[in-house]
Amino acid sequence: MKNTRRMKRMARNHKRKLPALNLTSLMDVFTILVFFLLVNSAASEVLEPPKQITLPDSVVETKPAETAVVLVSDEAVLVQGEAVIATSDVVAAKQELIPEISEKLKEIRENVIGVSTKTVAQSDKVTILSHKTIPFKVLQKVMTSCTVAGYGTINLAVIQKASQS
Amino acid sequence: MARKHHYRAHSKEPPELDVTTFLNLMVVLVPFLLITAVFSRITIMELNLPEGAGGSVDKPVISVEVIVREKFLEIGNGKGVVANIPKVNGEYNLQRLSELLKKIKENYPDKTDATILLEPDIEYDYMIKVMDAVRSFETLPPGSTEIVKAELFPDMSIGFAP
Repeated sequence: MKNTRRMKRMARNHKRKLPALNLTSLMDVFTILVFFLLVNSAASEVLEPPKQITLPDSVVETKPAETAVVLVSDEAVLVQGEAVIATSDVVAAKQELIPEISEKLKEIRENVIGVSTKTVAQSDKVTILSHKTIPFKVLQKVMTSCTVAGYGTINLAVIQKASQS
Repeated sequence: MARKHHYRAHSKEPPELDVTTFLNLMVVLVPFLLITAVFSRITIMELNLPEGAGGSVDKPVISVEVIVREKFLEIGNGKGVVANIPKVNGEYNLQRLSELLKKIKENYPDKTDATILLEPDIEYDYMIKVMDAVRSFETLPPGSTEIVKAELFPDMSIGFAP
């Protein structure tokens, strides 16, 4: 009887000591990872890589600025996220100037709401994000429309890559 | 006696921290930040658009023109074509273009502007590739293991091929 009670107690004591998982290294990794990712995401991108188009790769290192954004995809041309004209219509257009695009860009310049739109309106720059396979004649028309609307500097957005090859 | 012994044995061990809550937080935060993290960075290529009705007064000594055609690349000097680079295996021979431009740059070190002329149906991807080749080239300086980018003609303007 005495013996069994002692054994019980010992068993209880042993059981209590068992769960001691060493998590120190895991915590180290997680802490470093969390800080790295936090800093990485805190440096918020001016321009998010769009999902629906593939940008070409280039070795340039210039950072994008806060400008008006024209996106040329296979289906449509978007100015500041708003579809203005179908790409097939741009291809078919006879003249160099696409009125829909330049009108929209002029509108952006006039409608100033808040700080971010103000910087966009005051810069005379436009960033063109274009799909890889868009032919040059389409881009030429888009660029002409941008210059006509008063945006003198055109930036072409590309994905950064390490080296030429 | 037994109790005392037990007490002393316990105090000898380092006090254990309860990290469960912290761990929970990390487990949630890490996947969340991993999903939102952007690993492809967008950069921009600035273009010089010819200002209409400007009319440059002094004619430059030489102008560098790279003409991108469907079948081949050409290098012009403003008056005529000086080099013709055919495609290799259906791809533009950008290596050769880079070499030829390097020679031009050696002859005219102060020249920084170039014109790229494209045919209407050239894809944007090729345009960027040619612009990359005209902008700079990569060299491996002797005694160094790091690739250095050397400038060629960074001030580019573009237009339609004649």
